[in-house]
Amino acid sequence: MTMDWHASFMLSTPLAIRAIELLFAWSLSIQTLEYLRMRPATQGNSLWVWSIQRQDVPNQWMRKFLDSLFMPQAFTALLVLRLLALVSLVFQGCHLLNIGFLFVSNLALLIRWRGAFNGGSDFMTLVVLTGLLIAQVVSHFSSSEFGWRAGFWYITIHSITSYFMSGSVKLLQREWRNGSAMTIFLNAAIHGPLGSGHWLRKPWLATQSSWAFMVWESLAPLALLDARLAVLFCLIASLFHFLVFWYFGLNRFFWAWLATFPAIIWCAGQI
Amino acid sequence: MSVYWVIGYFLVLVLTLIYKTPIVSGPWLFLLRSFFPNWKFFHAVGYVPHLYARAGIVNATGQLVWTDWVHLYPHAEQKFWHLFHNPKTNLGLAQQNLIDHFWADLNDAPEGCDPRSFVSYQMVAHFVAGVLHNLYPEHTHNQFELRMLLDNSAETTNTHVMMTSPEEVRT
Repeated sequence: MTMDWHASFMLSTPLAIRAIELLFAWSLSIQTLEYLRMRPATQGNSLWVWSIQRQDVPNQWMRKFLDSLFMPQAFTALLVLRLLALVSLVFQGCHLLNIGFLFVSNLALLIRWRGAFNGGSDFMTLVVLTGLLIAQVVSHFSSSEFGWRAGFWYITIHSITSYFMSGSVKLLQREWRNGSAMTIFLNAAIHGPLGSGHWLRKPWLATQSSWAFMVWESLAPLALLDARLAVLFCLIASLFHFLVFWYFGLNRFFWAWLATFPAIIWCAGQI
Repeated sequence: MSVYWVIGYFLVLVLTLIYKTPIVSGPWLFLLRSFFPNWKFFHAVGYVPHLYARAGIVNATGQLVWTDWVHLYPHAEQKFWHLFHNPKTNLGLAQQNLIDHFWADLNDAPEGCDPRSFVSYQMVAHFVAGVLHNLYPEHTHNQFELRMLLDNSAETTNTHVMMTSPEEVRT
């Protein structure tokens, strides 16, 4: 008997759909619960008061609508409704109503935080949400299989592109090639400068680590050539995102990118 | 056939590194910029904007005395469970993002423009007033500065002041 190693790494469409629904619901729940805890930062003497930020909105009627939406009680209700939509995503799966609501409310949240709260994780969250919306809308007008194919490829192309762009632009920078950029960014990170004896202060180690991640990220498109490569790529990516969380405090990045992995593995299995 | 699509996609990505597209801007594009991610994280080393603030207190002889400049840079503890719930750190990161946007607004501003009209300026001024109120409840004046710091892997090697706000009377 011969074992088909390739087939054992391929993700079936129903399994990929369930995996992305659960991972995305988890990722968005973490974000939404954090937004609930952050409400004091949007009031009183705090930085994110809407009375100043509202000037960013160019249309008068939209400004008035957002004034109502971002009143403390309405904003809390919006976040609670998002949690309910996420519960529905976990137990009932994707449908146009829960994904449509999450998409529209996500746009409102982005505006509340001047376009992005946490940069990259907001971008990737929106990518997955748009992919899920594409899957629902296309399924509505065509077959469900075609809809999910479109959604998964949309997410995969964005996710793979994010690794490639992030790695290759660093390869073009001298400070990344000689390893000094990693130490500089880590010193300026929110957890404070690296300790004097920290292993990443050793130039040769910082250089090797920088090169390892830059090359790995730049080769990300190759993960699409084989489902086994895609699984390996996602395992390394999980470690990479955990290290980014650990050193830069970016927990949302970890979950936002993890939610794209079922799509990557599914797409690699289709080639 | 699909393999050729992947190779083609890879080549398109390489081309995007070489070909620079013009920058399009506008208020709605700014608010909805998450639809147009550039995926360039921590890529360039250089000057980084940092916010400093100080409070003025009128002493017993009626003289205005300024405190030392306070560096308003976010710090957070490193904990494993922050992987699941991390509001304080994320707020700190968002604060520093705002400082970056404030710097970008100043940098792009035409000559002679009053930065007080920027939303980012007003947000920073409001934030500074709140922080100084907590640190020095009796203060009567406040002022902030945006300084550009250049670091190497061991220390800050150069600093210059990009903007100093007027001395504001506490409201």
